[in-house]
Amino acid sequence: MARRFVGSMMIAGAAALAVSPAAAQVLEVAIDQSPAGLDPHIITAFSSFMVVNRTIYEGLTAIDKDLKVGPGLAESWTVAPDGKGYTFKIRSGATFHNGAPVEAADVAASLKRVMAKEIASPLASRLAAVESVTATGDTVELKLKEPAAPLLTSLATIAIVPRSFEADKDGLQKQPVGTGPFKFKEWQPNGFIALSKHDGYWQKGLPKLDGVKFNIVPESATRQVGVASGQYAMLPNIDAATALQLKGKPGVKLAETLELAYTLVGLNTSKPPFDNPKVREAVNYAVNRDEIVAAAQFGAGVPGGPLSPALKSWALDVGAFPCYKHDPAKAQALLKEAGVATPVALTMTVLPRQDIKDIAQVVQAQLNKAGFKVELKTPELGAFIQDWRNSNFDLFASTNAGSPDPDDYFYRTFRTGGSTNVFKYSNPEVDALLDRARASLDPAARKADYDAVQKALACSGPIVHLTYGQLFTALRANVTGFEIVANRSLSYLAETTAK
Amino acid sequence: MTLPRLLLMRLLDLVVVLFFVSLIVFAMVRLIPGDAVAIMLGANTEVTPERIAELRSRIGLDLPMAEQYVRWLGKALHGDFGTSLWTGRPVIDEIALHVWPTLQLTLLSLVIGAGLAVPTGVLMARLRGRFADGALRIVTVAGLTIPSFWLGIVMILGLATFAPSLQMLGYVPFSEDPVGNLARLILPAVALGLPILANLSRLVRSAMLDALGQDYIRTARAKGASEASVLFKHALANALIPFVTSVGIMTGYLLGGAIVVEQVFAIPGLGRLILGAIAERNYPLLQATILVVTCGFVVVNFAVDLLYLAIDPRVRA
Repeated sequence: MARRFVGSMMIAGAAALAVSPAAAQVLEVAIDQSPAGLDPHIITAFSSFMVVNRTIYEGLTAIDKDLKVGPGLAESWTVAPDGKGYTFKIRSGATFHNGAPVEAADVAASLKRVMAKEIASPLASRLAAVESVTATGDTVELKLKEPAAPLLTSLATIAIVPRSFEADKDGLQKQPVGTGPFKFKEWQPNGFIALSKHDGYWQKGLPKLDGVKFNIVPESATRQVGVASGQYAMLPNIDAATALQLKGKPGVKLAETLELAYTLVGLNTSKPPFDNPKVREAVNYAVNRDEIVAAAQFGAGVPGGPLSPALKSWALDVGAFPCYKHDPAKAQALLKEAGVATPVALTMTVLPRQDIKDIAQVVQAQLNKAGFKVELKTPELGAFIQDWRNSNFDLFASTNAGSPDPDDYFYRTFRTGGSTNVFKYSNPEVDALLDRARASLDPAARKADYDAVQKALACSGPIVHLTYGQLFTALRANVTGFEIVANRSLSYLAETTAK
Repeated sequence: MTLPRLLLMRLLDLVVVLFFVSLIVFAMVRLIPGDAVAIMLGANTEVTPERIAELRSRIGLDLPMAEQYVRWLGKALHGDFGTSLWTGRPVIDEIALHVWPTLQLTLLSLVIGAGLAVPTGVLMARLRGRFADGALRIVTVAGLTIPSFWLGIVMILGLATFAPSLQMLGYVPFSEDPVGNLARLILPAVALGLPILANLSRLVRSAMLDALGQDYIRTARAKGASEASVLFKHALANALIPFVTSVGIMTGYLLGGAIVVEQVFAIPGLGRLILGAIAERNYPLLQATILVVTCGFVVVNFAVDLLYLAIDPRVRA
């Protein structure tokens, strides 16, 4: 009896399995982690950013696949000659998902919400230069304390929400309301997040899909099988190992781009031995970046300096940095010059993520051949973050997200007292360059300053930049119109079809 | 023991077990390094210390541990298990959402495991010493040693290789699509149910062999009872008593196994909820979910005791 029951169920199951795609065009996406809230001004987790950025929410400006800044909810803007005033004209015809038109007052309220102490937004520092925000008619005027070259890039990351949320800390976390091509439909924690088409979207003809469903699938093998079987149409932002396994699978294609995010070894410059620039330089000589790409990243990546090669207009070629030539003998000579006793015994704290653990092991072997004696420690994520935040490390291996504008990454990381300067690095020359480049509106002058910063940081900075990985997105062959973006945003979902 | 007394004892058991579980769970999840706020903020140091303090106080992490526990217990006794730290929804609502896939999966695995174990065990006992018995015993040893999650991964990889057009991951509610629902649960249920089938069929086999060697069987045979009657009426009735006990224990095993199998097959059940809650240090959610699972386990054991009353007259004496 039981056998017959199971048998009949199997037959019933098999009969139903050649499911044809539903008439409504809903793109089934598989992601590995549940978002941690959906309020665009509060979220910090990448899993949240990927789901809401440019799908549910939009900013005044927008970043395209070449990482260039263009108009978003602001149709156009003017900059005061002294660089201390910006006037944005708000796009007419844009509406929120609740049907209300986007007005200058909403824009002003959104920016003020990010700047408000009570909201304690992690994005507040991106508006640190803003002195006042005023809405008049269909324009919003920003007065700045000092010129801020990266402002337009920063504004792309600040979502515009209805002004009714200005003082609301909780509402948007559960029930987001934005202006983007898709609106929030349902969130089943650990199950999925479903978005549906925003019918009143300001860009005519977009989105092309009726909806997007982010299935939360933590198991890597399951995601792979899901996309191979066609159950999922997209696996966004996957690593090289997964991409390699999907390469050549029938019906699956891969989109790829060079990442903004990079792998690194961070050095604590507040205590010996890394308070000595020569020791930091020695680490650079000891590390063989090509070997890391080959051994730990399946060849999918490039050695990288302080800026990602994806930032074509900013990044210097790594050939400009002498210490990037692998030379263990030179490393040992530098250690001798620095007067430290070899082997230098150190503990490297490793971010608990498989790709980083792999890289850390390669780096460990390389350093140990060049006069160091490195032990690896892989704490649990929460403990890693706490140690990192408290500068409680000799050196650590990790990964960092990049930014389309050098200021956004350099200033907080390397400026004396910068908000993510956990290395306690302080270099008056770098500080002066960063301050000047931030205040300059002349692209050529900024470029010269950032070139100098890169040179100053590459060999004796607190970060040993290792590699920039290749970023992949797996797509079913019938998915068209999607473009992968180096900052991992899924902004091209609006133009995607799956026919 | 009389029925009301048995019920009362069991109920007391439940209360005591739940109390200790709540205490242990509370202590254990707090002992995991890294707290909820650290995980929420991720690797982001742009966050001001004020915001960290504000978050900690909103969650109640700034209070002494004992006070946190007493507060939580007090509210829980009134049916308020708090809200999920990440979604802000009542924990009870989230559990209600996730309980059905797990219940269905567990039930289906039991049907496969326990349901098939009886005929298989009887068959093995009947064919004792023959080739089929030997073969089945080897198969069951394999079934006992292969972990469910591994079997699950092999199954989905096999599916991808041999039937790549089948869509069998995730979960669709039975009310929306009954066939799709069963189709998606069948593989995980087999992965979970096979070790149970292996375990229980060996148990039925040995209990049957034990029963078949008893005097009353010889008497039954001497009185001319048919072989089917001897096997199923006389021997099986007695062999079922250890079987029922084991089914109770196996159900607990199933709930544990479901945690990994749900992860592999992307089923949004209680197992996934627990794993997610651990990763997020989502204390209210984790505490409540584990309590619910424990409660389920105790209730199943209670049901097993009741079943005893039905099948074994000696317990009623």
